[in-house]
Amino acid sequence: MKLVCVVKFVPDVDRFEYDHEKHVLIREGSRMMINPDDGCAIGFALEMKKRNPEIFIEVLTMAPASVVPLVEDILRVGVDQGTIISDRSYAGSDSWVTSRILGRYLATTEYDCILTGSQAIDGDTSHVPPQLGEILGLGQISGITKVEEDSFGSESAVVEVDDEEAVTTYELNLPAILSFSRKSKCRLPHVRFKDRKKDVTDRIKVLSNDELGFAKGEVGLKGSLTKVAKAYTRKYESGAQLRVAADDNGVETVLKFLKEKRFL
Amino acid sequence: MDPKAVVEQLAKLVAPEQINTNEDDLYVASADRYKKYAFARNVLDVPAPVAIVYPKTAEQVSELLKFCNEYDINVIPRAGMTATEGGLENWKDTTLVIDTQKLDQIVKIDTYNSQATVQAGVPLQVLEDELRKLGYTTGHSPQSKPVAKFGGLVATRSIGQFSTLYGGIEDMVVGLECVFPDGTVSRVKNVSRRAGGPDIRHIVIGNEGALCYITEVTVKIFKYYPENNKFYGYLTKDIETGIKILREVMVNGFRPSVARAYSEEDAAQHFYHFYEGKCIVLFMAEGPKGIVEATGVAIEEAVKKFEEGIIKQVDSKLIEDWFNHLNWSQQDIDDEYAEMRTNASHAGYTTEISADWETIPKIYDAVIARVRAEFERADDLTMLGGHSSHSYLNGTNMYFVYNYKINCEPEDELITYHHPIQKIIVEETLKHGGSMCHHHGIGKYRSEWTKDEHGSAYYMLEKLKEAFDPKGIMNHGTIYPVKELNKYIYQQD
Repeated sequence: MKLVCVVKFVPDVDRFEYDHEKHVLIREGSRMMINPDDGCAIGFALEMKKRNPEIFIEVLTMAPASVVPLVEDILRVGVDQGTIISDRSYAGSDSWVTSRILGRYLATTEYDCILTGSQAIDGDTSHVPPQLGEILGLGQISGITKVEEDSFGSESAVVEVDDEEAVTTYELNLPAILSFSRKSKCRLPHVRFKDRKKDVTDRIKVLSNDELGFAKGEVGLKGSLTKVAKAYTRKYESGAQLRVAADDNGVETVLKFLKEKRFL
Repeated sequence: MDPKAVVEQLAKLVAPEQINTNEDDLYVASADRYKKYAFARNVLDVPAPVAIVYPKTAEQVSELLKFCNEYDINVIPRAGMTATEGGLENWKDTTLVIDTQKLDQIVKIDTYNSQATVQAGVPLQVLEDELRKLGYTTGHSPQSKPVAKFGGLVATRSIGQFSTLYGGIEDMVVGLECVFPDGTVSRVKNVSRRAGGPDIRHIVIGNEGALCYITEVTVKIFKYYPENNKFYGYLTKDIETGIKILREVMVNGFRPSVARAYSEEDAAQHFYHFYEGKCIVLFMAEGPKGIVEATGVAIEEAVKKFEEGIIKQVDSKLIEDWFNHLNWSQQDIDDEYAEMRTNASHAGYTTEISADWETIPKIYDAVIARVRAEFERADDLTMLGGHSSHSYLNGTNMYFVYNYKINCEPEDELITYHHPIQKIIVEETLKHGGSMCHHHGIGKYRSEWTKDEHGSAYYMLEKLKEAFDPKGIMNHGTIYPVKELNKYIYQQD
């Protein structure tokens, strides 16, 4: 069985850099990290591989060459192959062009299931997974919080989607595109200490437009159908809620919290 | 001897209720607070002991040690379980933890001769509470006071927050009883002073369970005058000003019970409600009224001498309030474990060193500079600072304090964060001629530098091990470096 995880590397949210004139993210030179939802997709694939070591996992990304060390770390936690699509002419591509680029590569490779995140923390359009589904002619579903691991196979996948109002269970025929939410418990592990210097360069493939063959006007800002009018940083994490009773214990808990947070 | 046979043999030495083979308890007994995060996440990489045994008398300890000595069974002596440097961690497949739980009697409180005798499993807080009823105090107040027990306090050469007045545990122990691996029970008698050869108390105090098992301790007790306590606090421009003021008070011959100087980073942790982004120096004067008043005058004079570095005085009530809430209880420890089970964070780590007055600021600056320049995960640091909290005529300590975001697997946290920082601190301290461990002991995780710490005097330390524990059954890997260091610190097979 082969799983392809389509992932995106995003600027570290604490060091967000944005070109306000061109309305594009400055990816070169800024510190990057795996998009949290996409990390869950890889985390799920690795869980499946733990159950069945025969599973082959490929991670696919479109990104500047500077992400190579990040892809190397993903290979060091057990992913079998990393494929990076990187070409200067692709800079500024919108989600539709990005989907076409990724789709052209995926059309040339074999897979039993494609795993992605649902949303990226830098763009938040959630366009790429459904657009890939359309390009490849596959079923796609976003916001997955759980996949039934026991029944996950080459025929179908049973998934749960939690949209805050309800938890809905779906069954999809495979191959399909399963897009994870960070609410899922799947977690991309950190590289173990003993593996941090492991040489994995022979498992990385870097592709450019030479291999994919798009015309100049089809990609980058020029080829994009959409333009960013304005961007702002979205706040994602809300604090955990704790309800306390109006008694001495409750007062003590609130007081301790306020002191810890340095309000007092 | 296989684990089953060990337990069968134990049953011939002690009653069944004195032997514990509960799996969860053995997991707890396999490590201490050094690996607190891995422990909380259930991924400890060390073997569990075969059993925990609770002897009731020195004679039972003697029988147990003779048995372990004969069959090469590693022994870890255990008391209050607040060790922080791996002293209670197990590195051997066949290990017995001998716990002081049932050695829990206060033998005698003798106010006329100002001394109290307790068994090794008596919690410090219990004796302190009894003494307070009589108007006395132990004068010993480590942050772990509500949890720590006398066997551990003496074995680790502990120190308390009032040490500048009362001294460390080594200044308080009058006499003791201990048991060696060959079964010999030794009593060091309680006298006011003697010149009967070397002071053999110091073979036992600080042995960290690597030479013998402590069963009983006699300590000095002191009259308690809480009504006379005075508190002083000042914001300072830098930590060096604080250290200069501490020195001035000490070398002029005064002994405030508390004398501390904090960096701004560490001050933020403790005094966030009034530190105003500055460093802090603080004092507590304690004892008979005349002494307290004289000490207070001396503190004010010292502050005056270095007034160019003083920003302002702090309300003494704030210092008093802070001090009354400084100790951590078992609940605090449990809360931290609960936090670690759900979040990739904990309350941080410390490394405590000592040196003379002139050298301490140099070590502090060198460490901070090296951590910032060399530590690979410097971006993950959320706090790096320190404070001086125990002063002497010729020098003081430095308590480096640090915390970080944990961006690694729990099994790798220490080699990724704590150990590299501690290594820098130890290296700089030893390079400058200081001591790498002021009061936490060497444990297992600083044993790689024990030889550097002692230099040519390591000969004496080594001979003690050869003489008292020739088969090496006592707390394998503690104080004395062993090959398992490579496995459990550096993850090398």
